[in-house]
Amino acid sequence: MNQSKPFKVIGNRVPKIDAGDRVTGKSVYGHDIELQSMLHGSILRSKYPSAIIKSIDTSKAEQLPGVECVITANNVDTHNLNYRTDHPVLKGEEVNCIRDEVAAVAATSKTIAEKAIKLIDVEYEVRNGIFDPEEALKEDAPLLNRFNKGDDKNKNISESFHYEHGNIEDEKKKSACIITRQYTLPKVTPACMAPSNITATYSAIDGQLTLYSSTQVPFLYQREMSQVLKMDPSKIRVIQPIIGGGFGSKLDIHPFEPICALLSIKTGQPVQILFNREEEFHHSAIRQSMVINLTTGADIDGKFTFREVEVIKDNGAYTSWGAKTSFVIMQTFSSLYQVPACVYNADAVYTNNVFAGSIRGFGNPQATFALERNIDLMADKLGIDRAEIRLKNANFQGELTGQGLQFDSCGHKPALEAVIQQSGYKEMSELQGRYKTGIGFASMLHVGGGAKIYPSDGCGTTLKMDPYGFLTVITGSSEIGQGSETVLAMIASEELGIGLNKIKVINTDTNVKPWDVGVHASRTSFVAGNSILGALKLLKTKLSNKASEMLNTSKDDLLFENGEIKSLSTDTAFKIDKIVRALHFKPPHELCEVSYFYEPSSEFQDKHFKGKVSGCYAFASQAVEVEVDTLTGKVNVLNVYVSQDVGKVLNPLGLEGQIEGGVVMGLGYALTEEMIYEKGQLMNPSFHDYKVPTATDIPEIHFHPIETNEASGPYGAKGMAEAPLVPTPAAIANAVSNILDVEINSLPITPEKVLRAIHEKDQTKA
Amino acid sequence: MKTIIHKISFKLNGGKIEQEVPSSLLLIDLIRDTLKLKGTKPGCLEGECGACTVLIDGVGINSCLYLALNVDGKSVTTVEGLASNVEPLSDVQNALVEHGAVQCGFCTSGIVMNIHSFKDKCDDDNMTPDREDIKKSLEGNICRCTGYVKIIDAVESLF
Amino acid sequence: MNFNTISPLTITELLEAIKSNQNNHFRFGAGYTDLILELQHQDENDLTIINLAKLNDSSLKNTSKTNLGIRVGALSTMANILDNNDLYVFPVLIEAVKSLASPQIRATATIGGNICTASPAGDVSCALVSLNALCEIINSDGNIRTVPIVDFFTGVKTTVLQKDEFLRSVLIPTNSNGVEPVSGFIKIGNRNSMEIALVSLAFHIIHDDQGIINSAGISIGSVAKTIMFAEMAIAFLIGKNIKQLSENDKNQFADLILNYANPISDIRASAWYRKQVLWNISKSIF
Repeated sequence: MNQSKPFKVIGNRVPKIDAGDRVTGKSVYGHDIELQSMLHGSILRSKYPSAIIKSIDTSKAEQLPGVECVITANNVDTHNLNYRTDHPVLKGEEVNCIRDEVAAVAATSKTIAEKAIKLIDVEYEVRNGIFDPEEALKEDAPLLNRFNKGDDKNKNISESFHYEHGNIEDEKKKSACIITRQYTLPKVTPACMAPSNITATYSAIDGQLTLYSSTQVPFLYQREMSQVLKMDPSKIRVIQPIIGGGFGSKLDIHPFEPICALLSIKTGQPVQILFNREEEFHHSAIRQSMVINLTTGADIDGKFTFREVEVIKDNGAYTSWGAKTSFVIMQTFSSLYQVPACVYNADAVYTNNVFAGSIRGFGNPQATFALERNIDLMADKLGIDRAEIRLKNANFQGELTGQGLQFDSCGHKPALEAVIQQSGYKEMSELQGRYKTGIGFASMLHVGGGAKIYPSDGCGTTLKMDPYGFLTVITGSSEIGQGSETVLAMIASEELGIGLNKIKVINTDTNVKPWDVGVHASRTSFVAGNSILGALKLLKTKLSNKASEMLNTSKDDLLFENGEIKSLSTDTAFKIDKIVRALHFKPPHELCEVSYFYEPSSEFQDKHFKGKVSGCYAFASQAVEVEVDTLTGKVNVLNVYVSQDVGKVLNPLGLEGQIEGGVVMGLGYALTEEMIYEKGQLMNPSFHDYKVPTATDIPEIHFHPIETNEASGPYGAKGMAEAPLVPTPAAIANAVSNILDVEINSLPITPEKVLRAIHEKDQTKA
Repeated sequence: MKTIIHKISFKLNGGKIEQEVPSSLLLIDLIRDTLKLKGTKPGCLEGECGACTVLIDGVGINSCLYLALNVDGKSVTTVEGLASNVEPLSDVQNALVEHGAVQCGFCTSGIVMNIHSFKDKCDDDNMTPDREDIKKSLEGNICRCTGYVKIIDAVESLF
Repeated sequence: MNFNTISPLTITELLEAIKSNQNNHFRFGAGYTDLILELQHQDENDLTIINLAKLNDSSLKNTSKTNLGIRVGALSTMANILDNNDLYVFPVLIEAVKSLASPQIRATATIGGNICTASPAGDVSCALVSLNALCEIINSDGNIRTVPIVDFFTGVKTTVLQKDEFLRSVLIPTNSNGVEPVSGFIKIGNRNSMEIALVSLAFHIIHDDQGIINSAGISIGSVAKTIMFAEMAIAFLIGKNIKQLSENDKNQFADLILNYANPISDIRASAWYRKQVLWNISKSIF
């Protein structure tokens, strides 16, 4: 929907509509919920990453005063979790990673629940664990997940993806330069500020289970919970409290959630399970770690010819949405920059490590890291300027890629040009002395109009205007802190000409709100935005019909502005609430309420993964100026130039917030964050030793939005929230590699890694 | 070992109150569990993230590393104590809202209290901080959503 | 976490509390920023905490100038130190305090607590070693003994303190000659804030207006079981002109510093890195 007249609200800098509640401590997060006669749940987890359970003795725990219920796999009846159904809720026969839930307790206080857990005796027969995917792939490796119906290739592969386009042999022949490298990406955690939480309350009277859950996908959650608990899904109600950060981590259901439900079902009382920070590090969703083997080619002029990719992902003990990152990685290798041929293989391999989840970027940061490093290496080998080679191969409007992605709007080249120019690339290098500076580039491509991975990628909206002109927006989409509610309110304000203070957004209860697939794939602005626009159109039609009658004019003559509906020709108007009352008290005797469901025009990809998976695509480029202290190896990021094709800027304040937050999260992934595991055990489960960026670590961020006015997006907008994280680590690695003339092929780029690289280079020189 | 209970009397958000607390009760637990003031958040319980920051005699401290019994005779301010009916948002809170410095908000109360503490100190010392000073003042508050930029902008606008 | 507290109000009550608890398991609690973390991970039973937060004797919190130097009460917080203009004659100390944790932690963490925690990575302890500070220890009978701070630490998290002793204050000698010292604290970490030093180097070098080095204190943290005082490196500098050190001099100096480094490899960094970066930054102080 493109408007030629200037906008009144869209494009304004609008603070989050409920920021007042959040900033005064009034917002109720999962940790703040207290229900009458609520019990506290605690979970006994495995002592070992791999063992057979010989026996579980809960008798002492059951006898502890204050303990209301103890459950194990022996006294519950559940279905396995996740889309592969390879993850039992409670483990009764064996444990496969240190998260494994062996028993759970509900007690009248947290202290008693924790005490009770310690009284449960479990006899284990310890097995040797497998912690390296390469080891798991060996012929003589044990079967690591006995529910695996996965792959014929290997008993320990959960998911295998194969993709190809073009003629790779032809393209290899055309290549003047071929680069092969291996890249290693670590496990990191989103470290949401609010640790995991759930409150479950079951009533035996009506068999209704209510879950206060910080899920990002309430309707999928409802459905999966019903399957896991073997319950009628219509008896499950999901209510989202204010969510203290998601970043994709809350797409998967983790066992603690059905466990909490089971405790409530068994006791008939509300039960709450809250993680502390240490538990959050150990047991919540993390980013997929992987090894990427990448071979890329380019011809003598620097035009990319082919990519050959092999990805080995550590699937961990159980499958989660992390296994599907192969799907997004595929898209980057097949379609970021023009490339005539691509062969791609990705395997998610079981191990006795913890399993990943789906984290912001969903595999794209890892893929982009590998690809952009290879591009720099090819440029160097061919003697072509690094900015030049990217511009030469940039995606263009109208391109149909080998994978079938259609770029109706494409801001790749303008984004590249913007960051190349703004970073002052040519002038900005200092390669002498202790502190060396230089610039690195990276681009990215991500879905911007949803992603059809479920039978529906749609979102429903119900609008209700009351007799006083107050609009309630009941949207299926969820707010996880990213500002989606505010954008929807702005759209309603723009279309109806009413103030933001006359709008409320409701979106927390599956009993109330219409269906939406959930917050993922940066889809909310696009899909929920289009959904509310569809609903607003219906609402305006209702109001216009009545207003035109009352103002005695045609519908085309009407303008919604300043809380009124005005006839342009006669300059007479009625307040909008008067029209609402007239609709109700006079014919047609209707309430001012409408509903609309929007399904984006994407399709499922075919079995070769080709096709239009998203309504549109977002592009972005970054140029990062970095300073390396050659005495300590410390990398200091000075400036990040971000240019992103967002289609249309809806709320600059919210947009900038997402860009800045994403870049800084990317900075952490690039430089300081790493989950260090030894034999399946996490060695640094605290903020003491897991280093997220602080306020003193941030660079100057220069943001330049590109508006390509995507026809299918609301006001031309595309989704954008994952994108700012994706190119940052790649650009930083490129900058450091260039400045020091070394190769950085893994993350994080710690001072030690840099100093070693400098040292090795000096040794080879000598 | 018999648990000793201490009688404490202190000012909370402007009003005087009395409590009985065991020795090992943490201030954050007194605030959230006993007094039911949920605005102060348990981000890490290890003094790293600052989400639990409250003011003791106007100075920001981590309530997860402070014994409840030690507030005896002191004045405690939590985020709930900043508002009044006349001014529902303090100048600090207003600045954060206006600058788009609030996303998920879980870290926000701690940041609000820390900024209040910082601002009062700067006023006492007659000091106008620069951007680097402001960043340094925020080093004990972790935020995963905003990237800190707009928080720093908001603080800058207060001087 | 489960313990009982005793809260003495005066030094007399404090010494009495120490005396009467000699047969019990007790610890001191001052700022609690290290103690609570430690106790959370332990299941200590029958623990008594002598809570120092209620002591109203200002000598324990204040700083006073004497002929011998500046005496800093053990219960001075890090924030108190930063607010005290008198201590700015020791830039190494001020920089170390500024690098410690966050404003929230600095508001309650005490200098006594930092020293008695005896971490080889302790920032303030490292600075004080380079300043040749003296630990003033009082026992439950009221007797005072003095121990040079470098000797106060006996191992990782262990000190010379006996069960009936309490660290009362720290005396930092002032031997300024009117010329600005070359004084500073370098803390190596992966981030700019909230770091536990991978390696730290504290230096306080006094030279005359020609540049001739009269005296120096140099200490290194996180490279051994305790903070190391680099005597030989200091001896090497005495008499030399700080403005005329050759590249060779700086290399030798760095080599001498490295003699004191026997770091471990852990999840934070390898021994190789710690030694390499220590050598590099040693040269950079001139």
